[in-house]
Amino acid sequence: MLQSVADIQALLVRVAAKDSAAFATLYDATSAKLYGVILRILRRREVADEVLQEVYVKIWERAADFDGGRASPITWMATIARNRAFDEIRKKVPSSIEDSPEALDVASSDPHPLQALELNDELRRLSACLERLEPQRKEIVLLAYLQGASREELSQRFGHPVATIKTWIHRSLAQLKACLTP
Amino acid sequence: MMETDDIDPLAAEYVLGTLDAAARGQVAARRAREPDLDAAIRAWELRLAPLVDLIPVVPPPAGLRDAILTRVSGQSQGGPTNNVVHLEQRLGRWRTLAIAASALAASLAGVVVYREALRTAPATSYVAVLQKDPQSPAFLMTVDIDKKTFTVAPVSAPKPAGKSYELWLVSEKLGPPKSLGLVENAGFTVGPKLASFAQTDIREATYAVSLEPEGGSPTGAPTGPVVYAGKLVQAKP
Repeated sequence: MLQSVADIQALLVRVAAKDSAAFATLYDATSAKLYGVILRILRRREVADEVLQEVYVKIWERAADFDGGRASPITWMATIARNRAFDEIRKKVPSSIEDSPEALDVASSDPHPLQALELNDELRRLSACLERLEPQRKEIVLLAYLQGASREELSQRFGHPVATIKTWIHRSLAQLKACLTP
Repeated sequence: MMETDDIDPLAAEYVLGTLDAAARGQVAARRAREPDLDAAIRAWELRLAPLVDLIPVVPPPAGLRDAILTRVSGQSQGGPTNNVVHLEQRLGRWRTLAIAASALAASLAGVVVYREALRTAPATSYVAVLQKDPQSPAFLMTVDIDKKTFTVAPVSAPKPAGKSYELWLVSEKLGPPKSLGLVENAGFTVGPKLASFAQTDIREATYAVSLEPEGGSPTGAPTGPVVYAGKLVQAKP
């Protein structure tokens, strides 16, 4: 599945030179990861399918902008995917005929992801800082980042006004930043 | 220039994803001209990026690979092979431009096709751009109100494998959406199925395209999401 960071970086360089064979290899190596990221936020496959296409077209067009000194290739690609997915889910769809009840099902609770995995160093540091937040606030950060929960959805789920959620988010993120800053 | 104190929570929430559409749009526009904000956003992207490791991989549907490679190879072979590919490329380039205008004028790609349609349009022609948002026109629909016929041409409508696009006439007055049949994302679709509707209803309806199981909705009502929609405007005064 995922190749090494160096391999993916090399592929991106070739993609920047419009090498479509390299692009196909890059797609094979990374699409399941990006699709996972997108699908988790958008929740509906039809929408995720289209967003994934747009994301890869963007990667094709922007590969030359990738700066390996700044971020890992997967972080760079995942950022493009998350940005596009959030643009999509925050957008109000003007003319849907039927409501999509499944679209707002934030409450589906995954087993808590932090305990489940072998963590790499960066994730271990971040998760140590997340663990210092109050449990509810940690969950809010994770639901927002990983599952695309909006302030309104979080407000409903936790039974606090949107303004409170917003304040919690700001405080939690400031706390995280302080914790992560050496 | 704003203080870092103000920029940072905004950057953080932008990356977390909790800003609403309007705020997201503002931040996206501001970061292009505010290096401090851009830097704060990048820093937050890096801070939270390890969380992406927690997300399980999900293989995308097999058909997507070809769709994406086709879209991209149209660009790498140094020249569009057909008009649709050509428009898709321009769409990609123009997507980042902020264009404020009516639904039609809002999309340059839409306008290109729209102008093309106008050249040959009879006076009783109406046109609708069926789109998801102004930057993404998918189909161009022309309707001859007198003859009660329509034509649907694809602009940029990537279709997931094993699905069909179905066109619906949606009018509050007429109750549930009325199917106008399947539309293809390659080539023109010509439909005579407006004959049973009154001219005013045809003119005032919303036209919507839903994603259905292959062959169309099994129930006669839309079962899939509405992916594109639009309303008619008169093509000539």
